[in-house]
Amino acid sequence: MKKILTLGIAFFVVAFGKTSLATDIGFKEFDLPNGLHVIVHEDHSVPIVAVSVMYHVGSKNEQADRTGFAHFFEHLMFEGTKYIERFQYDKLVESAGGTLNANTSWDRTYYYEILPSNQLELGLWLESERMLHARVDSIGIATQKGVVIEEKKQSVDNRPYGSIMEETLKRAYINHPYRWTTIGNADHIRAAKDEEFKKFYESFYVPNNAVLVLAGDISFVDAKKMAEKYFTDIPVKKEEIYRPAMTEEIKHTEVRDTIYDNIQLPAVLQAYHIPAMGSKDFYAVEMLSQLLATGKSSRLYKSLVDEQQLAIQVAAIPFPFEDPGLAIIFALPNMGLDCAKIEAAMQKEIEKAQTELVPEMEFQKLKNQVENQIVTENSTIASRANILAENYTYFKDANRINTDLSKYLAVTPEDLKRVANDYFRKDNRVVLYDLPKSSKK
Amino acid sequence: MKKLIYSIFILLLTLSVNAQLDRSIRPNPGPAPKIQLADYKLFTLENGLKVIVVENHKIPKITYQLSLDIDPIVEGDQAGYVSITGDLLRTGTKTKTKAEIDEAIDFIGASLNTTSTGISGSVLTKFSGTLLGIMSDVLFNPSFPAEELEKLKKQNISGIQMAKNDAKSIASNINSTVMFGNKHPYGEINSEKAFENITMDKCKEYYKTYFRPNVAYLIIVGDITVKEAQAQANQYFGKWEKGVVPAHPYNFPEMNKSPRVVIGNRDGAVQSVIMVSYPLDFKTGNPDAIKASVMNSILGGGSLSSRINANLREKKAYTYGAYSSLNPDKLVGSFNASGEVKGEATDSAMVALLFEINRMISEPVDSKLLEQVKSRMNGSFARSLENPSTIAQFALNIEKYKLPKDYYATYLEKLSKVSVADVQEMAKKYLKPENANIIAVGNADKLQKTMVKFSNDGKVELRDYYGNPVKAAETPSNLTGMDVISKYLEAIGGKEKLQKINDITTKMGMEMQGMKIEIINKQKAPNKLKVETLMGGNVVSTQVCNGVKAMVKSPQGNMELTGEQLEEMLSQATLNVELYLDKLGIKAELKGSEDVDGQPAWKVQMTSPSGKNTVDFYDQKSGLKVKSVAQQGQMSVTSTYSDYRPVEGVLFPFKLKQSAGPQSFDIIVSGVEVNKGIEDSVFEL
Repeated sequence: MKKILTLGIAFFVVAFGKTSLATDIGFKEFDLPNGLHVIVHEDHSVPIVAVSVMYHVGSKNEQADRTGFAHFFEHLMFEGTKYIERFQYDKLVESAGGTLNANTSWDRTYYYEILPSNQLELGLWLESERMLHARVDSIGIATQKGVVIEEKKQSVDNRPYGSIMEETLKRAYINHPYRWTTIGNADHIRAAKDEEFKKFYESFYVPNNAVLVLAGDISFVDAKKMAEKYFTDIPVKKEEIYRPAMTEEIKHTEVRDTIYDNIQLPAVLQAYHIPAMGSKDFYAVEMLSQLLATGKSSRLYKSLVDEQQLAIQVAAIPFPFEDPGLAIIFALPNMGLDCAKIEAAMQKEIEKAQTELVPEMEFQKLKNQVENQIVTENSTIASRANILAENYTYFKDANRINTDLSKYLAVTPEDLKRVANDYFRKDNRVVLYDLPKSSKK
Repeated sequence: MKKLIYSIFILLLTLSVNAQLDRSIRPNPGPAPKIQLADYKLFTLENGLKVIVVENHKIPKITYQLSLDIDPIVEGDQAGYVSITGDLLRTGTKTKTKAEIDEAIDFIGASLNTTSTGISGSVLTKFSGTLLGIMSDVLFNPSFPAEELEKLKKQNISGIQMAKNDAKSIASNINSTVMFGNKHPYGEINSEKAFENITMDKCKEYYKTYFRPNVAYLIIVGDITVKEAQAQANQYFGKWEKGVVPAHPYNFPEMNKSPRVVIGNRDGAVQSVIMVSYPLDFKTGNPDAIKASVMNSILGGGSLSSRINANLREKKAYTYGAYSSLNPDKLVGSFNASGEVKGEATDSAMVALLFEINRMISEPVDSKLLEQVKSRMNGSFARSLENPSTIAQFALNIEKYKLPKDYYATYLEKLSKVSVADVQEMAKKYLKPENANIIAVGNADKLQKTMVKFSNDGKVELRDYYGNPVKAAETPSNLTGMDVISKYLEAIGGKEKLQKINDITTKMGMEMQGMKIEIINKQKAPNKLKVETLMGGNVVSTQVCNGVKAMVKSPQGNMELTGEQLEEMLSQATLNVELYLDKLGIKAELKGSEDVDGQPAWKVQMTSPSGKNTVDFYDQKSGLKVKSVAQQGQMSVTSTYSDYRPVEGVLFPFKLKQSAGPQSFDIIVSGVEVNKGIEDSVFEL
């Protein structure tokens, strides 16, 4: 579980040590008449360009009996278009010396190509075709059904702890569509008719539900001209786009359960309800998670893995969800150890954060870590494109790429203590013990 | 006015462009961008340390990588000590504890990793001095704390426990042992036993011998000037002392004469891992390297549109992805093609995989396809240059493998010259399906039958997690499963005495997570059973079988068993079940010989009328039952029996061990009573 942060960057300069120039990541943006938002970032250091489109659709836009649709589309969208033959989409990119991929979350779906910069137009052609003419037909649907169901086996059924996410979400949420995973239920995909996929495409793969980012060795003038050329004639969708309203109530009762998996070592997981990404408290929750489990001197690592040798691994991950999400704390107990014992040790560290202010040095450490993280995440053209796209999709503010660090640095030790008390409450969480099937009586 | 007309013109132009956009035409690329390799500087310190510097000021960070250029070593009965030494380096210096090192590294948001062949770290420019201070302290003054060694052993053993049920790990271990043999450093598999054997002296000796500047490179990449890098290298690594470092030559592993089919078992597998592999003399930067990697890219290199993927994933939907790789290595290179595939399609997927490999050899590739792949590799090369450590790696390769200085600068030129004939020549030279290891890990019982078709001599080897052969040793042709069981019955006291037993009460004790658990097992002929589990004197669960029905009672409620579970319970409840195999329709089939705790045992598979299997192992000398493996759902439960003692003339095991996955329980029998006249009412549901 890699920590996903949607952070931006400002090469922030702190007073001590060697100083670098504060560098803003520059970009220009505009809207096409059909509502497509376009962001252009110039960087001429390497002759490559990233062409990416983020659609504001994820698994939360799915119907409860058709889960896995958004992710299914991520696959289907490689099946070609009206003018691009089946199996040619990726070949076109690769044969142009580029690479491409896509990913799906609960909130959005992202497609990108990284191409030699002289192939910018190819990238725009491909992405505009995807938006306008994707092949949502029975052959492609049938093929991708097989692939997606196999992917689920590989990433969920056959992988240790593969089901833990699914098991957590369905207990954490009662109403909100975050209660299912992006991969969804294979039966739903199997059962879905071709028309349903077509409808999903028409509902969400529209210019006014997307942002196009062009980043790299290109000029704004050329990029703008070409974006207009390929995207202007794509029709706007006039009907309202389905976005489920957040209806999840604040929790006052702990949910606790044991699940059994094809695993060798048990796992302990706690999931706390937290505010949405981008809110002031979310930044504080992220830093609190860092305090708990980022790096070997983090509190849980030091206490559980190092000193007490209760666990072989710990993690604390706040999910960057558009609607209020979850912060997960996860531990793999050392051989033959009891889950309850690990959980008690985890709880002790959480209580410490709830009752004591983080000492100044330790807090400075968190700030240094954030700075390093943000600098690192913005090191490539591709990741900059991704961050710009997400910031626009969620906040309609691409410039958060330059202001995010200051939001972390505005968090105080008092904030950390406060969010520890406000959100890391026993009655605001799901606790799961994931045990080997062999231990099931 | 002029300006206005101009903008109207532009507007018209734009509109007309839109109106005329013919989407069926693929846009042409602009003029090819120029690719420039960033420069690097190389210098050598007096102690022999070679330093490579790559400047890149895009982000305010620097990466330092200290890398040893040494031969791998065979580790023997302490296998794992080399990697543990690498981990130990970071766990304490003469002046700092591990916690203090962690604290210092985390404080500056940096990273620091130590391995058996180097130390690396990455840091914001402004904290680079701090990181180097810690790095050199770790390098010069490791304290090798004993408790850290114990921790690492424990963690590694836990890691093995986890990996044991992972099909990919099993396949990878089988692959290594089959390809290299266990006398080669690449063929050694870490085991719990070997980790337990590791001594601190062995680790210290490795560190003292191999961590020397005259076999090391320091690679500095990022927001730094060459002058600053020179100063830092001298300041932090100038005092590092030279040493004599031994070289270790190895024989090249033998190629198979014909395909060698090897399978492994993973309990409860829904997928199989399939793999085709063999060793190759293929070094980094060898004259064929670029041509051969073009060939492999077409076959199964990282792309979704490679032939293997197009066939196994897109066309047949057997898998989420399957790939091939040609792995250059100074010692022994290798070819490997693999994927995780649907269990029921394991052999079909292997057929498709081999088909694609053979097609590369027999058919010239389409020239259009070749151009596409070349252009793809061209782009991938260009993209890789965005990461400054690529340039550092290039420099390191040029130095390490004595490549021409312009090897990477002329890479694209060489790539552009690769022809259709070159690709086929490379396929003929480097693709050797006839000499390959054909490996599959999944449901071994099924694989045994489906994989045999890939072997010329009808041989399928079964190997375990450690890559050790699971012996299906020759059995005397006249010996049957029933013979083994008769011998067992004789060994524990003979049929006559056994038939006189009407009831048995066994008291047992075990510890689970610090809690003492007592088990009372009552059994009465023909098939009544009651198992009570007590904690602190209180009954926490009861299993009871009255000979017809069975029930499990626990604080969560009572559950009557049905179907397979009932069948299992009834057979468990049968007193001395081995006496009544015929009557119960249980088949006993001799499956060969296998060692149990180092002693040869007969392996007998018992199959119930409903097809359920249990495998029992009988010591060949004593005849006693020493082990039993039963399937429970997707897990297998292993029981071992030892310390047989006589009670009323019949031998009973007084020590039992039950394990399922990583969990194992030692059960000690405290007493056995025979024929005490247990009432039938005890077994009421």
